Amino acid sequence: MSHFFLMVLYSLVVSLFFTLLWRRERKDQVRLFLQLFLGMVGGGLLVAWLMYPFPQGPPAPLP
Amino acid sequence: MAQPDEAAPRGTPAVTAAVAVPAGVPVGNPYLAMILAWLVPGLGHIYLRRMGRGLVFLLLALISIWVGFELQGNLYRPLPGQPLTLLATGGAMGMGLPYFVLRYGADYAGDIVGAGYEYGTAFLLTAGLMNWLLVLDAWDISRGKKE
Repeated sequence: MSHFFLMVLYSLVVSLFFTLLWRRERKDQVRLFLQLFLGMVGGGLLVAWLMYPFPQGPPAPLP
Repeated sequence: MAQPDEAAPRGTPAVTAAVAVPAGVPVGNPYLAMILAWLVPGLGHIYLRRMGRGLVFLLLALISIWVGFELQGNLYRPLPGQPLTLLATGGAMGMGLPYFVLRYGADYAGDIVGAGYEYGTAFLLTAGLMNWLLVLDAWDISRGKKE
């Protein structure tokens, strides 16, 4: 499992959870899910991109 | 003088009201709903007749716990001299039975030198915190404050 896959999986689980917890209408659910999921994945990529010039060494391999 | 039929609108309102339960009506025992929701993620919602939602919540919690377990994340427990671990333990305990099964049944503690330790910890802690929210949600649904 790669770092990116785990980030996407985590975003998926959390987004789906809050979507079902907070919204009842299908249209609202789709909108909130996309906001949360894309916000988390996009935010993660943005932070990774900002940190790119400051490497801390090779990434640790995941099992 | 008002006739009996004038007290209600036309049609069969009495029968309709007896069958259809409007949203926001209290359902079930709120204390039992909270206990069930805590013990097994999603079970409180299933008890409150929110079968689909309950099953999805159960699936999401199991995925989160399984991934955290596979990555050998930290299943928090109180450590002497580290008060913040009390808070984290409370959060992780939110997952209910799975916490105790992992901690006491499987003697699981995680692997601090494992490559996936931090990721796994995030998944396990998230599973517990999500379920605490489900406990509160079950309470609100049972009291008729939420649909």
